[in-house]
Amino acid sequence: MTGSTIDRRHLLASVGLAGLGVAAAPLLAACGGSSSGTKGTGTGTVNLWIDITGDANQKYWDDSVVGAFEKANPKITMKTSYYKGSDLRTQVQTALQARSGPDIVRGPSATQTIAWSKANVLADLTPYSKQWNWNSKLSDWALKAFTFNGKLAALPMRVDTMMIYYNKTLFASKGWKQPTNRSELEALATEAAGMGITPFGSSNVDWAAAAEWLMTVFWNHFSGPDALYQALTGKIKFTDSVFVDAVALLKSYFDKGWFSGSVQKYFSVPSAEIGANFGKGTVAMIPQGEWYMSNVGQFFGAKAGNNNAWDWMPVPSLSSDVKYGTYALGIGGSFAINSASKNQDAAAAFLNWYYGDRTAALKRMADVPATYNIPINFKDSEIPSSADPRAARVLTELNKAVDSGNYGYVTWTWWPPKSDTFVYQGFEKVLTNAMTPAQYCQQLADLFKQESSSGNLPQMMPRKS
Amino acid sequence: MTTVPVPAPSRTSVARGRARMRLRRGLMAWAFLVPLLVLNVLVVLGPSIATVYYSFTDWSGIGPANFIGLDNYVNAVKDPAVRDALLHNAIWFVLFLSVPMALGLLGAYLLSQVKRFAMVFRVLYFIPYVTASVVNAALWKMLLSPDSGIGHYLGTHHAWLGDTATSLYSVNFVVDWHWWGFLAVIFFAAMQSVDPQLYDAAKVDGANKWQQFKSVTLPGIRPTTIFIFLMTIIWSLKAFDYIYIMTHGGPAGSSEVISTLMYSQAFNNYSAGYAAALGMSMTVIIGIVLAVYSFLRKKGWEE
Repeated sequence: MTGSTIDRRHLLASVGLAGLGVAAAPLLAACGGSSSGTKGTGTGTVNLWIDITGDANQKYWDDSVVGAFEKANPKITMKTSYYKGSDLRTQVQTALQARSGPDIVRGPSATQTIAWSKANVLADLTPYSKQWNWNSKLSDWALKAFTFNGKLAALPMRVDTMMIYYNKTLFASKGWKQPTNRSELEALATEAAGMGITPFGSSNVDWAAAAEWLMTVFWNHFSGPDALYQALTGKIKFTDSVFVDAVALLKSYFDKGWFSGSVQKYFSVPSAEIGANFGKGTVAMIPQGEWYMSNVGQFFGAKAGNNNAWDWMPVPSLSSDVKYGTYALGIGGSFAINSASKNQDAAAAFLNWYYGDRTAALKRMADVPATYNIPINFKDSEIPSSADPRAARVLTELNKAVDSGNYGYVTWTWWPPKSDTFVYQGFEKVLTNAMTPAQYCQQLADLFKQESSSGNLPQMMPRKS
Repeated sequence: MTTVPVPAPSRTSVARGRARMRLRRGLMAWAFLVPLLVLNVLVVLGPSIATVYYSFTDWSGIGPANFIGLDNYVNAVKDPAVRDALLHNAIWFVLFLSVPMALGLLGAYLLSQVKRFAMVFRVLYFIPYVTASVVNAALWKMLLSPDSGIGHYLGTHHAWLGDTATSLYSVNFVVDWHWWGFLAVIFFAAMQSVDPQLYDAAKVDGANKWQQFKSVTLPGIRPTTIFIFLMTIIWSLKAFDYIYIMTHGGPAGSSEVISTLMYSQAFNNYSAGYAAALGMSMTVIIGIVLAVYSFLRKKGWEE
């Protein structure tokens, strides 16, 4: 037999060299971070990946957002790909790193957008902002949160706040009034628990970061926005007792079984089940963000098999230093343009239409509760009368809060990324007694110091004197 | 009649012919190899080299990376979360190796005794394995709910996934449930190849069912058992999907294993360089396992 056709050593050497060659290209590209996008012609196809779930919601986006835009801009075609919320960020980030992905980037919150902006994967929107005068159309505080080193990296997608949803029918039947302060809230919770009703429904089963919603509530309404502002601007530390006590207070509510019945149930009962119990009246209140308004209705009324109704109220003041009617403010996500996009002008045209057509934007806010609450400037009287009164009240209350300076800070907008992750991951350890509130705050303070020194903080929404 | 002598081929032309043949065969072999090699280089070797590189950097997962030497590895050794995750991996490994294997062997043996409807049982055993992990995990999340799951109707109300003492074991139970049927079918197929005369001989010698199983069946399926053993070790170290879907490694890291920790570090904490170092460490561990397996195989362990 003649000798072997490929010498083993040569084969391995060749494969190794080929591998190194092929591997080196993406590796170097990944490290480079240089922009390869172009402005394009302002026409053609614009790709967008977004985390809208549910047939009805996707249909609304297709018909009333994308459809309306395409009608007004017939030379641009929008191509939307839908993703599940928790998966989208990782998919977009991976694609951006590979200099690929959609033209319009549905990005994370402000602090995480800083990381993307620093990596030069987002196009600078400043020229578009000047061209279309976005400064006059969007709220100043929201734009500043996405402006780093003088460049506008993204546009704020949705104004976020925390509130308390309550079973209105249950409250009426028990003669309960909306609590406005800590003692009223605790009296109500004690009474409800005594009747076998879970005072607060909450779960982190479907959204691991749910604990940061609760920390946002307790830090804003117990520690107070002034203390938070000082901590976030480095004047005081998160080890201050005002923050430690807020964590301890929240933990004490869990230990009493006021949240979901027990710590274990908070970790294991799916949110849909909590919602169903809320609709039935075995859960009295749910502390949640305004976005929950688009889901909560499914647990009430004939479809859910009950005759109950829901409403929402501001978070009671948990300390005498905090005014009742304070709203933690922040931004839930962003829209940016991929710096590798070959069609940046067309993508910007969509953004300009989305944010610039105020009438259409207000109609969207009225059509779908809380989902399309973009931070544009408008008067209460401009809110369409077709809006659900509960959704309209969110808009008017937030306008009032911004005007009066009665606002706080949500963790997912104003905390740097690692600190923000620690807020909810570390709190699980507090709940399971693996960490004390003081240790938790110490670790948070250390992380915050490390991240803030790297310049990973957005421009803070200042306090009004 | 005269004959014209045919000139004998020279040594040079023979050598050239052989060289051409070798070249042709070589090219043909490369033509068959290239598609798979390219695929492997692109999806395995390339990212692997990148992972080695990033494990020595402070890469956040996006943008440029700075070389930081062995810092990630040093931090991993000191990190209590890594130690906990490794311990969970070890517990997972022991359970995943023992429970489904034992159930698989038992199931296969019982299947071999069934003369009617054997195919129906095989299909039933196989269903959990062919069902997508996302579906299985979502289903069991509901079944384990303290307020509406199986436990609720049995009166325990225990939050299996919400209790730090039971979360890891609960997810492992679900994975074992999904896995043992597959093993049973594989073992059953291996048992079919055992010579029936050996069972007859054992019966003549007075061996009972257990002795037949121990002395005939188990030695007869030894190569399959060893292979499954090795694969189970590797799969247990790669455990990710069920844990990620059912608990995200929680509560409070109680069901965290290295793979979920890596994911969390890379995508939640923006520490992709650190995650790469964890991945490299796991690769080394798996490499050691494979080396031990190869060594034992050379020693005739499989025979």
